[in-house]
Amino acid sequence: MASRPRSYKAQKVIDRLGQKLNRQVVGSLAACVHCGMCTESCHYVLANPDDPTFAPAYKADRLRKLFKRHYDWTGRVLPWWVNAQSVYTDEELQELKDIVFGKCTNCRRCSVNCPMGVDFATFNRMARGLLVHVGIMPEGVAAVSKDQWEIGNQMGVLKEDYLETVEWMSDEVVDEMGDDKAAIPMDKKDVNIVYTINPREIKYDPRTIANAAKIFYAAGESWTMPSEGWDMTNFGLFSGDDDLGGAVARRVYDKVHDLNGKILVMSECGHGYRSTRCEGPNWAGYDIDFEMESSVVTMLRYIKEGRIRVDKSKNPGAFTYHDSCNFARSCGMFEEPRELLNLVTNDFREMYPNRAENYCCTGGGGAMSMAEYTPQRLKSAKVKADQLRATGAKYVVTSCHNCEDGLNDLIKHYKLDMEVTQLVNLVAEALIVDKKEAVAEVAAKAAPAAELAGYTILVVDDEPDMREFLTTVLEDNGATVLTAADGDLGLEMARTHKPDLMTLDLSMPGTDGAKVYETMRKEHDLKGIKVCVVTGKPELRKLIYDRDIQRPEGYLDKPIAEDSLLLNLRKILEVGSEKS
Amino acid sequence: MTVEKKFNETVLRLVDEDITLMDVDAFVFYARTDLQLGTGIGNAITMRGGPGVQEELDKIGTAQVGQAVLTSAGKLKAKNIIHAVGPTFQEADTESKLQKTTVAVLAAAEKNQVQKLAFPPMGSGFYGIAPDQSAQVMLATISAHLKNKTGLKEVFICARDPRDMKPFSARLQAMS
Repeated sequence: MASRPRSYKAQKVIDRLGQKLNRQVVGSLAACVHCGMCTESCHYVLANPDDPTFAPAYKADRLRKLFKRHYDWTGRVLPWWVNAQSVYTDEELQELKDIVFGKCTNCRRCSVNCPMGVDFATFNRMARGLLVHVGIMPEGVAAVSKDQWEIGNQMGVLKEDYLETVEWMSDEVVDEMGDDKAAIPMDKKDVNIVYTINPREIKYDPRTIANAAKIFYAAGESWTMPSEGWDMTNFGLFSGDDDLGGAVARRVYDKVHDLNGKILVMSECGHGYRSTRCEGPNWAGYDIDFEMESSVVTMLRYIKEGRIRVDKSKNPGAFTYHDSCNFARSCGMFEEPRELLNLVTNDFREMYPNRAENYCCTGGGGAMSMAEYTPQRLKSAKVKADQLRATGAKYVVTSCHNCEDGLNDLIKHYKLDMEVTQLVNLVAEALIVDKKEAVAEVAAKAAPAAELAGYTILVVDDEPDMREFLTTVLEDNGATVLTAADGDLGLEMARTHKPDLMTLDLSMPGTDGAKVYETMRKEHDLKGIKVCVVTGKPELRKLIYDRDIQRPEGYLDKPIAEDSLLLNLRKILEVGSEKS
Repeated sequence: MTVEKKFNETVLRLVDEDITLMDVDAFVFYARTDLQLGTGIGNAITMRGGPGVQEELDKIGTAQVGQAVLTSAGKLKAKNIIHAVGPTFQEADTESKLQKTTVAVLAAAEKNQVQKLAFPPMGSGFYGIAPDQSAQVMLATISAHLKNKTGLKEVFICARDPRDMKPFSARLQAMS
């Protein structure tokens, strides 16, 4: 009987599977007894109780059939007996892609609930890697991976933009502290700490960098940021591409080594911590000769050693803590963040379940970059929303940038009255800085009110209250403000007045913000106008992660705090992060 | 680290430089068939070079694997960019396609009187071609070209990542 023809890519996937099998993966592929213990542990199943295709055991079986057909003797000899099955077409590979990328965030909650020790997330990641190897992956995964391969960070931040943003934050900290010694050191050698960050901090949330710098300054730390190898995140963990994982980790390690740093400290990023601290040395085959720690541990150490003092009354309100899957479940960082949170706030409320049993933010595993799966991601977030709501807290703290985005999206989707923040912001807020504090207050009061003087900003938003809020804040700070209540008028005014910057709501009647943004990036005369997206619509986060057109210069979630608005708009205008 | 070899009057030099910042007559961008610059180096071209490069590419439309098209380099230091569509992700006949693409680049360079040309490690990294395979094919193709009559004076290979630098350096040093 003639054998069924197999596509070139399908054959490559089968060949590659053989190269990726190790004891851990084979153990997980062979050990499942289909007891169903994993089923209720998956947030996708809880949101889709009538759809068995979301069950971890079902998803795992799709790969298990392939393994049995080609690499297990039972499946090779008696495929009908053990339900072994091969893949033949590119369409089948596409279907597998939708399972391994779209129906699992690799959170590992099913893994810790499996009595047989089956680590589904580990071989789900491997399956992602098999597909990426032949170029089958969500567009957003490809976009982010390419940025990290070729530019050196996940968000395609160019070196000059990174350096300018850090310098700008450095100036802010010096002004606030009233001391030139508070400046952020760059590429300083023989330091105690080399501090690495998530590119999201540079691109959309630079205040975390300034806050970390304040803490290092207050602690009298010998530290530096590196000009290269500064991105401690690693998309190889999400895409399953061990080559990318190794290359990225090596860049970070090499730089710490060149600077002769004693400790590599990573800012609050769950997957970055796991990739750099735990997986990277194996991916890169690197012999690490320095220590590595999370900034959570560093900050906690400073307080315990008396190097910084904090006043928890500066952080009023009720706080809960979300355990990041990678930071907590995979790396065991359960108690340190709680201890620190209790030191800088008065009202900490535990979330249930928590620690290793906590539910995923639903934005993990690279899900934020996969726009095509956003509806099912947000649907699966119901259990997380219920968890958050039950705490009664106003603030949810997390030590992960991915979780921050994932939680922000579900908070909007499920209309929770909550805000997301990180420990670095709370510690910086609670910081007691002797003497210099008075200087900082004076400096803040003496700061010129016209921070945006000379700039023309076009506000495009259909909500009258939002237009009024933005207009008031921006005019109070010296900007000339134009407003448009819909997309068409916004484009017309942009063409006529050529503003320095447009704040753009995405959800508007008529020509919506996404279409306006696309036009802004394609029309020759509008390309040079900077755009800060201001939205409450999580589905359009794809503008950050998944696009062929240039990313927006800024991205703010509604509701917007005045200080965050000003900080981000000033960064866009003054740092000039995009030069088109 | 700089490693170089001379072929007749032309120097082939391996450098640890950002290709989009190179002061050359042309550099090579490993392009997609739809000629969209996209992310990665494409993003750097857009950010540093301005929107004109993509506008030129949009007028050209598409290109097939093994082809190379030339545009200006916008506001970059380089004068031109050669957009070369090479093989990706383990596709069949990777080696011969990569060779064909490299030949197409060199032909476009000669046709446009390029004297200083910069290559990336073609297909290495995101597109999954093994760095050593890229090094072997590129160096063999480029050196063969330079042994004949050429207008090229300097050819650079910009290898920023150690995983590329190592095999390119070893193979270039081993060339007679």
